[in-house]
Amino acid sequence: MELAGLSTDQAPPIEAPLRFFLTAPLFGILAGFLIFFSDVATLMSRFSVDSIVVAHALTIGFIGFIMLGAMTQMLPVLAGAKLPKVQAVSKYAYILLVIGTSAMLSGLSLENSTLTIVAFIGLGLGFLSMLVSIAISLIGVENFTATVKGISTSVVFGFFIVLMGLYLLYSYITKDISSAHVIVANIHSVWAIFGFCGALIIGVAFQVLPMFYVSPKFKSFCKRRVIWLISTGLVIWLFLSIYYEEYSLFAKFWVALFFLAFATTVWKKLSQRKRPISDVTVWYWRAGSIYLALGAFLWIFDEYFKHEYIVMVGILIGGFILSIVIGMLYKIVPFLIWFHLNAKGYMSIPTINEMINKNVARVQFVLLMASLIGFIFAFYMPYFLELSAVSFIISMVLLQYNVVSPVIIYIKTMKTKPDFDMSMFAVNKE
Amino acid sequence: MSTIKEFLTNDHSRCDEIFADMEAKAGKSLTSARERCVEFIDATEKHFQMEERVMFLEFENKTGMTQGPTAMMRQEHSQMRNLMTQMLEAIDTDNKDKFFGLSETLMILLQQHNMKEEQMLYPMAQQHLSAESDRVVSMMESLIVE
Repeated sequence: MELAGLSTDQAPPIEAPLRFFLTAPLFGILAGFLIFFSDVATLMSRFSVDSIVVAHALTIGFIGFIMLGAMTQMLPVLAGAKLPKVQAVSKYAYILLVIGTSAMLSGLSLENSTLTIVAFIGLGLGFLSMLVSIAISLIGVENFTATVKGISTSVVFGFFIVLMGLYLLYSYITKDISSAHVIVANIHSVWAIFGFCGALIIGVAFQVLPMFYVSPKFKSFCKRRVIWLISTGLVIWLFLSIYYEEYSLFAKFWVALFFLAFATTVWKKLSQRKRPISDVTVWYWRAGSIYLALGAFLWIFDEYFKHEYIVMVGILIGGFILSIVIGMLYKIVPFLIWFHLNAKGYMSIPTINEMINKNVARVQFVLLMASLIGFIFAFYMPYFLELSAVSFIISMVLLQYNVVSPVIIYIKTMKTKPDFDMSMFAVNKE
Repeated sequence: MSTIKEFLTNDHSRCDEIFADMEAKAGKSLTSARERCVEFIDATEKHFQMEERVMFLEFENKTGMTQGPTAMMRQEHSQMRNLMTQMLEAIDTDNKDKFFGLSETLMILLQQHNMKEEQMLYPMAQQHLSAESDRVVSMMESLIVE
């Protein structure tokens, strides 16, 4: 059995997840500026270059980076799986992904094929190396829990969406947008949202909600079946949307039903939690479940309304994913810093609560929520767009501040070495 | 009788519930949470000793792994003992911010520790000690905390 998570020596070095976490808000800020300098009419079309660029600054640059960073850190704990050569893989994949994402955003915006080719190589190698590495680590897991199933399912969808993404990017390089392009783009986005992100979040929620908030555990039916039911629904939706589009509504309904159930279950579990603390991470879980419920519901019927409603679905479901990953970030980053400093023998270090300014976190939450609601209002009142973009940018700047603050504490502690107490490591002997 | 894995996993949940109740009381006043905090520390200490003085020793004797997962778990127990002592000090000095900072830190440390035990160490222990499972559980149940 893999014992990676049971040793700090073998646990991933702190830089592995941190470099992803520190970079993600920068792409969030960039997305905010891109929205600010765009306009409602352009962003209302999901296939406009502006929409694609903004969507990928957030999905790859922000959400993708946080999820990959979190996987390097959480796989040893959640699954007892350790990424092979984690230091090298995470470092080189990170460099490739930063180059690839930046090149994609600029290549598409400037219609520059060279940059798009760089993006194709960077994103392809970066994502595939991380996914292969994660997949290898998961193969050895013996205790295949519901959380591990969720992560594994997410990785499988991850491979497909990366390959589809590369196909789509290749179309921009060759400037040959075939009739299959729209179909592949649709599958790419739906599988990315519900397959890759959805399965991962549900899998992690099974473990994290009872753990961090002492909420009741998820029912065993939920833990054993939901991921497979959703995955089956997504595969059926794929075939229906290609061959029998008029029936794809049934598959959408099937998939959305389980996400609606998940959203209400999260809300209920949080209400039943035994731990009374209500910090910003609880707010984020609650906000995420509201966005998911609204987004999943609208997704079923969006095609019967205006074509642009799919963008609203994107904002709502995006709000769900953003909320969950930011909530997790607020838990993971300060703990990582505390854990690594404590494991090095430093005792006089701030507690987790002292590493992140709670008031800044609350303001950051309010601004993010205001901006997401503002983006929806901008559908009907375009002047809301710029204001919401500003709110989004400030929210991301505050998030960056909150992620950097604990890292500064880490660097200062390592430099000043305030104390060093080895007594803690004394092993109780009989 | 429950297996080693079931027995210790259930004990984790029991400690979690006392912890949640302690925090609920501390939200009102730290003084009212003192008794519950002591109860939590006692329950956790008993859990640690059941592992350190019984299960880990049996596991180490059986597998010969003395510097492996059990050493790491012992180290994390020490980290948690340290935090629990500080929590009690925060109650005695009526420092709410400090108390909740420590309780949040302890909670996350405790939960990731429990997860590693439940996902990896307990299944391993159950596998290696299956023949002695009843005896090990019974020894843990009857342990008197030192």
